[in-house]
Amino acid sequence: MGFEMEQTDQLILDTAQRLFADHCGADVVNATENGTEPTRLLNAIFEAGLPLAWVPEAAGGVGGSLALGFNLIRKAAGFALAAPLAETMVANRVLAESGLEMEASWTVLVFDGGPLPTLADGKITGLVENAPVYPGVARLVVPVSDQGIIRIATFVPDTLEIEHRESLAGESRARIQLNKASPLELSPVVDGMSEHGLMQFCALVRACQIAGAMEKMNELTVAYVKERQQFGRALGKFQAIQHKVADSAGESALANAAVEQAVRELSEHPRPFSGSADSLLSVATAKVVASEAAGTVSRLAHQCHGAMGFSYEYPLQQYSRRIWSWREEYGSEFYWSERIGLAVAEELKHSAPGQNDGRVWEIVSR
Amino acid sequence: MSETIRFNFPAPVIDDSVDRLRKEVRAFLQEEIRNGGFRPVTDCWCSGIDPEFSRKLGQRGWLGVTWPKEYGGRELSALHRYVITEELLVAGAPVHAHWIADRQSGPLILATGTEEMKRTLLPRIAAGECFVALGLSEPESGSDLASVRTRAYPVEGGWEITGTKLWSSGAQICQYMTVLARTSERDDKKRHEGLTQFLVPLDSPGVSVRGIRDMSGVEHFNESHFEQVFVPENAVLGSVGEGWTQITSELALERAGPERLLSTFVVLEKAFLQAAATMNGHQATVMGGMLARIRALRAMSLGVAALLEQGQYPEVEASLVKDLGTRFEQDIIERLREFWPIQLKQSFGDDLHYLLADSLLRQPSFTLRGGTNEVLKGIIARGMGLR
Ligand SMILES: Cc1cc2nc3c(=O)[nH]c(=O)nc-3n(C[C@H](O)[C@H](O)[C@H](O)COP(=O)(O)OP(=O)(O)OC[C@H]3O[C@@H](n4cnc5c(N)ncnc54)[C@H](O)[C@@H]3O)c2cc1C
Repeated sequence: MGFEMEQTDQLILDTAQRLFADHCGADVVNATENGTEPTRLLNAIFEAGLPLAWVPEAAGGVGGSLALGFNLIRKAAGFALAAPLAETMVANRVLAESGLEMEASWTVLVFDGGPLPTLADGKITGLVENAPVYPGVARLVVPVSDQGIIRIATFVPDTLEIEHRESLAGESRARIQLNKASPLELSPVVDGMSEHGLMQFCALVRACQIAGAMEKMNELTVAYVKERQQFGRALGKFQAIQHKVADSAGESALANAAVEQAVRELSEHPRPFSGSADSLLSVATAKVVASEAAGTVSRLAHQCHGAMGFSYEYPLQQYSRRIWSWREEYGSEFYWSERIGLAVAEELKHSAPGQNDGRVWEIVSR
Repeated sequence: MSETIRFNFPAPVIDDSVDRLRKEVRAFLQEEIRNGGFRPVTDCWCSGIDPEFSRKLGQRGWLGVTWPKEYGGRELSALHRYVITEELLVAGAPVHAHWIADRQSGPLILATGTEEMKRTLLPRIAAGECFVALGLSEPESGSDLASVRTRAYPVEGGWEITGTKLWSSGAQICQYMTVLARTSERDDKKRHEGLTQFLVPLDSPGVSVRGIRDMSGVEHFNESHFEQVFVPENAVLGSVGEGWTQITSELALERAGPERLLSTFVVLEKAFLQAAATMNGHQATVMGGMLARIRALRAMSLGVAALLEQGQYPEVEASLVKDLGTRFEQDIIERLREFWPIQLKQSFGDDLHYLLADSLLRQPSFTLRGGTNEVLKGIIARGMGLR
């Protein structure tokens, strides 16, 4: 399995696996994109309590570890899950941190990594892009800046000016203009939550989703090249194909390793949204490597699949389109590479000349 | 659908003693550099030959650390060895003399050697006084190692070996070579049978070793002739005819070590130091991206080390590390060229240029030695059920 897990965590994952397999086949994913709500899937996810995976038991949740939640997200991505489970899990955890109450409805995080909407006189103003406002979402959780300090505001979607947009994969990515909007609820200042911390957390969620989707793409590819025959033998018997599969497996394995080290790092922090310098390096690594791999793995998987992989009906495209969007969200490989480069350069600048030998390694090997 | 596609890289357990050891080694190396004990070189585990330096490491107890105490080891964990090797690599220390013996031949002797071999040789290897070369490749056998032609015939009291070994790194300073030879006639249906490994003293009558200069100008690998070289019965490593199985498991274990991703780190380190003060966004993106990949590769490599500690045999994972890691060692140099063009042979005291140029001249070997990346991809594909 992936990250180190408790036995109960494993049970939850097994349940999720069955649930996704039963209710989120490739046909459901395509149908959802074309406007049919996946009611059975949504209900099943709710009944299983998955949206509360990260909410402490004291707050009425499952009390799962960070590792459990990230494993769940990775698994969901392996089904191209036609529901905003990850966004809901994060939103509920944010609510729990803020002290606001949870609700038994689809609640999503509205945060795009850009400047936070600001609070003034009890009203909120700002622009948030890429908000996952799917049909059926009942509550929006919006981190806002109260003179640089974070508070959480909630809204009901109907009360806001929302322009619906979609990612390349048809996932809801709405644009929300908040114009002196009055929140439904407003939390006190949230301890141990920073803009950087939110950004890191969400970036790791995307990295994790990319890793999960790439695993599925490799499974599809291996199954396909074993099955498909040309020139009298399975494609997988051709060395050129074998090497593509090996390359793809390598990129996917590297992304897994990067995501896992980041989850371990974040798990050591009591406040996962605090955004420390240590977690910066780990999370940035995960997002860089996963986003880079997304390009390579999709290219190789499509090449191995021939025209079949280019068809809408065959499931591969649901994964490639997702990872192409996910790699851009919450910072691409370029964004996070730059963050690492500048952070390391900054550290080097502040140490005395001659004291720097081996410093880069010291930072990398932390 | 196949479950083997899920590759898992658990975190190794790093206790305080590992951290302490790392700091000790780091401090020693910084001191050595300051004192002019060595000049950092790139690809140091292949290009930096300095028996005197190897002895220093032996005296500090940093070689053969995982071996039993009775054979000169310290019974430390594989992770202790891992951090020692990491620190040596990133410092660019001249470690080639003992590298193969510490990594590969020592463990091989421990697993398959006679008691006498273990008692006499292992403590000397751990002391940095005895070096061993690898005699696998031949003029006609590279990737297809099972085709070796070196032949060993049973004679009174032992074996007589005749053949040629090629590319053996460091053989000119080694006292021994592990030689893979055919001990029974080749059967095309069972090509992997009938191979045996011998431990051959290189001062035996009939052995001649000739250095070969590589394209970077270093004479680090060799051609060795064996002309009716007699070795006693007890020079056989393991069982007669079992050489192939030994070799493949030996190679699998050495594939994922830090030398498969850090051979050129010393260059990146220097480049970063030089660039830090004036780093702009673009350069930060290029160079920060490399640090991300190193971190991820390291997590993978440490994951393989952890799997080995758990007693697993992560052949595919190890091959993935080596394939990705060695290609990345090359990429580092290609990407740094954007900021530091590499053109002149002379460096005029510019350390960074020296390291860059030397790296460029050495990098073709990264994806060849120890099994080419094409061979590795074949192993990965087999692990995924395609062969
Ligand atoms: C720096 C260095 C140090 C070395 N040290 C040692 C040492 O100490 N001891 C030792 O015994 N050897 C050593 N070697 C040799 C090394 O193990 C061989 O170079 C390696 O195994 C490849 O063999 P080859 O060079 O004969 O290439 P070949 O096997 O001739 O291969 C040439 C090219 O063809 C490709 N190729 C071959 N077969 C296939 C196939 N079936 N499918 C697809 N592609 C294929 C290869 O991948 C490669 O790209 C060293 C090599 C180097 C570069």
